[in-house]
Amino acid sequence: MSLPNLLIPLMVIIPITCALFLNLLHERIRTVKVISIVVAFALPIIPLFANYGTHYFGGYAPLIQNPISADLPTLITGTALYIFHPAITYVYGSAQKLMIFILGIVGLFAIFISLYEVKKPSGVYIYLMLMGIASITAMLLSDDIFNLYVFFEIAALAQVGIVLVSKIKNNYETALKYMILGGIASPILLLGIALLLGVTGNVNITDIVYSIRNGLINPQSPVLLMACSLIIFGWLYGTGLPPFHVIKSAMYSKALPTGAALLQAFSVFSLVAFGVIIIRIFSYIPFTHVFLLAISLIAMVLGITMAITQTDFKRLIAFLAVGELGYIGAGFGLGTVFGITAGLFQAVNESIITALLFIGFGTIMYKTKETDMQKLGGMLVATPKSALFVLLAGIALAGVPPFNAFQSKLMLVQASLNSGLPEIAIIMVLMSIVTFMTFMRAFHTIYLRPKPVDLEIKNEKIPKITLVAMVIFLAICLLLGLYPHLATNFLQGLAMSIT
Amino acid sequence: MIIDTQLAALFTAGALIVIGIFGALFLDNLIKKVIALAFIGDGANLFLVSLGYKAGGIVYIFLPGMAMSNFSQNASYPLPYALVLTSIVIGASTMAVMLGIIIILNKKYGSISASKILGE
Repeated sequence: MSLPNLLIPLMVIIPITCALFLNLLHERIRTVKVISIVVAFALPIIPLFANYGTHYFGGYAPLIQNPISADLPTLITGTALYIFHPAITYVYGSAQKLMIFILGIVGLFAIFISLYEVKKPSGVYIYLMLMGIASITAMLLSDDIFNLYVFFEIAALAQVGIVLVSKIKNNYETALKYMILGGIASPILLLGIALLLGVTGNVNITDIVYSIRNGLINPQSPVLLMACSLIIFGWLYGTGLPPFHVIKSAMYSKALPTGAALLQAFSVFSLVAFGVIIIRIFSYIPFTHVFLLAISLIAMVLGITMAITQTDFKRLIAFLAVGELGYIGAGFGLGTVFGITAGLFQAVNESIITALLFIGFGTIMYKTKETDMQKLGGMLVATPKSALFVLLAGIALAGVPPFNAFQSKLMLVQASLNSGLPEIAIIMVLMSIVTFMTFMRAFHTIYLRPKPVDLEIKNEKIPKITLVAMVIFLAICLLLGLYPHLATNFLQGLAMSIT
Repeated sequence: MIIDTQLAALFTAGALIVIGIFGALFLDNLIKKVIALAFIGDGANLFLVSLGYKAGGIVYIFLPGMAMSNFSQNASYPLPYALVLTSIVIGASTMAVMLGIIIILNKKYGSISASKILGE
């Protein structure tokens, strides 16, 4: 096996191994810092050097690719067993490359900021971040639905851990609520997977799709419809789409800014990983597209309108993030190559912009320890640079040119119009306007109105790494806004392969 | 009446899931809630493992001296068993974390009542 292909599993193995190692070393600050920095750099670099291809764990490729298969009897070579995948398979294509790279960039800066903002960095916190990143990377790579479920569960536990270590008021209560809901949703997802296994005899997604499309099983089987419903239910929980939007946004608000930046990236890429599978396996069922569109529109409207009423800025960003997830889901729901490409592009954009917003608003927490907007004001004087970056991030989130979300939202509107659904395009535009208004109200309250007399602002400077992270995120937003094909060229292949 | 083993397992799995969902939604005691959640997980695991059941089947291990035709016709499907092991481990880890959180919340509130700790 060549080195670049070996890098495919290493994208998961390195962060997991280092995470476990860091957890053991959590008292040794210097060692924790060195290892964390090295792994953090590895996160975005490995996907850049890995070659596109497939990795079979244990080396068990399908028989058709195995030299010994020439000697096998026709009893085997004449059946689907000849092409089925016996091993857990990771597939690495251009879309995975871009998404894992972006996840790596968000992870890199989340780790760096947490190392520099905290005097005694905790190995446990970095451990949780790395476990989450590794899990989501595995979900993006995996072609095995049970493997995906396993990493989905690990990611959920890592998210709970990230909230638990934040020491923010009522974080334990929120984490427990999330786990109780997960305790119902995860077995339901497992049941959906079990039904798929029962019908197709397989957990490899490519093989399941082959079985359905080539008539090996009855595609109209009600069991498949049931499996689809159960898997979609699990997907809603994992991504924080309604009815799980309230608990998911609460999770964001109970995490540290770096943790929240990562949590939203986890939600976005979980949505993509499961969304791709749902479309691949169940796209022939008309109900799937209708349901995805409906739930996405509800997420968009509920998320963004609930953001209006928030007084806690982290909660506000959290609800806006849920609303933005609706745009991604709508792209999948439209089901066309252009629509799915737009949805994937929106996923990439949202993960950067929302991370930037959480980190940007995190500077307010750093200076004041306050998240209630009604107690804040006059922060423009205290944090002028980060105020500018946050303003630009908010403009980007609302889909204002020349930033990246403008391009992806424009594509989504075009895809809706092309699909003969102008109503969806209108809702998308309206929700972008509401997002802009909601953000500007929050920005005015925190930065522009006079400083309340009792507000204490620390004299400590914001760490340079935080500002550097914000500049780099903004640069990526601007770059993808001016040259959207840099992303869409990577994403189009995946969209074409699943429709 | 003798019920088919697989059917009985599937019914039991269904019953566990329904009882578990009821308990998770309506019980106030957090420990009982966690037990109810374990019921749901166990139901899903039992459902999964019963998929691999084969009446009169043999273990999926090809022993020396075994006829290939006997093995291929009677061996049960091993994949669900492999999967369910992983699922049990995940369930145990999740439950451990939940119970850990409940211990801490019990110290804070002096109670394990869901309505008191988590609100309605």
